[in-house]
Amino acid sequence: MKRSAQIRKYVVYAVYLLLFSSVQVTFPGFLTLYGLHADLMFIMVVLVAYMFGFWDGIVFGALAGIIRDYFSAPSVTGLDGSVNTAIGIGLFVMVAAAAFGSSFFTVRIERNFILAFVSVVAATLLYKSVGHLVIFLWSQIVPSLVYNLEFSQIFLKSILPQTLLNLYAAVPIYLLLRFIGPYKGGVNPVLIDEKRKGDNSWLTM
Amino acid sequence: MRKLLTNKRFLTVVSLLIILAVIILGSFPGSPLNVVLKPIGAVVNPIQKVVKYTGNSISGFWAALTDGIAIRNENEQLRAEIAELQYQLTQNEEAAIRYEELQEAFHIREVFSNYDIFGASVLSRDSDEWFSVIRAGVGNSDGIYLEQGQSLAVVDVRMNLVGRVIEVNEDDSVILMLLHEGFQVSGKVNAVNGATFIITGDASLKQQGLCLVTGIDPDVIPNVGDEIVTSGEGGLFPQGIPIGVIESVDTSNELNITATLRPYSDIADLNDIFIMVPFDELENMEMLSEEVYETVSTDS
Repeated sequence: MKRSAQIRKYVVYAVYLLLFSSVQVTFPGFLTLYGLHADLMFIMVVLVAYMFGFWDGIVFGALAGIIRDYFSAPSVTGLDGSVNTAIGIGLFVMVAAAAFGSSFFTVRIERNFILAFVSVVAATLLYKSVGHLVIFLWSQIVPSLVYNLEFSQIFLKSILPQTLLNLYAAVPIYLLLRFIGPYKGGVNPVLIDEKRKGDNSWLTM
Repeated sequence: MRKLLTNKRFLTVVSLLIILAVIILGSFPGSPLNVVLKPIGAVVNPIQKVVKYTGNSISGFWAALTDGIAIRNENEQLRAEIAELQYQLTQNEEAAIRYEELQEAFHIREVFSNYDIFGASVLSRDSDEWFSVIRAGVGNSDGIYLEQGQSLAVVDVRMNLVGRVIEVNEDDSVILMLLHEGFQVSGKVNAVNGATFIITGDASLKQQGLCLVTGIDPDVIPNVGDEIVTSGEGGLFPQGIPIGVIESVDTSNELNITATLRPYSDIADLNDIFIMVPFDELENMEMLSEEVYETVSTDS
């Protein structure tokens, strides 16, 4: 890859990273449903990983996770009942999301735009389901933490609205990644090389 | 070995395990890992401020355009309302004098005079259902410190309870909101000898913007519409901070009567907050600062 293309890649990724994370924590009223809002950074990480491969996804995801931990770390009730912010959970979620996005049907099926949206939906469903399960299990250990959500509430007021919001927000983010950068033509040349070597299936978007 | 180090699955698993270790280490009190995030603020904070300013400017400009016609109509209505309000004003002046008398009588001023109030703008809000703390632009550098087990009340511009400070950094503070499951405060009906109970965040009520009220005495059940204020029990929060109003009461189980409360503070519309620091804590902080200064002087 040319040096100018590499610089462009880093600049565009940096702009996306800082802009989207700032917008998300500054204007939370943007795209809301049942008090939830579209998780722009999460969508971005899954799509970057799906469209541009494992390494782009994992690095972008790690940086996005660190920024998320800095801006709005989750508050966790400890065993003694005290509530503290837990650093690293954002990083964990974003790296896992990137790993998931980069491996979502990319070995056997060529990457395409429909599967890009399916990857966002699948990643959101997985993230929300696992998140609720972990909090439920944690509430069984911590006596002062009550987690009284019923399955229907979890699905109808948390998982479903979050999935719809993320799917909706994924459209402009996909278009942004595809047509404005980080790669010219919306294609990571490294993945084309991998395809030639028969290492992976390659995308035609 | 080289093959293993380029294996994506292996790298993913190792990375996630390392991050898990970081989470566990970071959860210990006084963990140095919290310091790791500090330099990030130097990069992301200015950009976030620019985004905030730009967004506000755009929305202000758009509002100016769209509101032009509406403002003209509103102006007509407001002229009529002014006449009505002038009449009410004279009546309110009378009520204000009465209020001053009552305020003195209930020593409200005295209670709040024991607290120093630090104002700050909200820097960042929740980014997700679970990543839910907000950050305010006031910290150690402004003279606020938080010791283990302490809690500082946070109120909005109308002095309604918003949450409590759970972490203070050099330039910002982390605030746990009223609706969070981990939040708990003792409240009472805003009346003489009002019944007291516990107000907590609740996972199932959070999305409706409601809190859960428990510990209700069957003989003194609050009514729908009752105003609830902090009781001051436990000593964490001062007495008399407005929290919200009772929205519903569930008496189906006499042994466990519960109610829901709608907080006054609107989290989505929050731009500025105020942190209440008791004076004695301020004195402690000053002593702490002096001790640190002395230690540094001795060392040097």
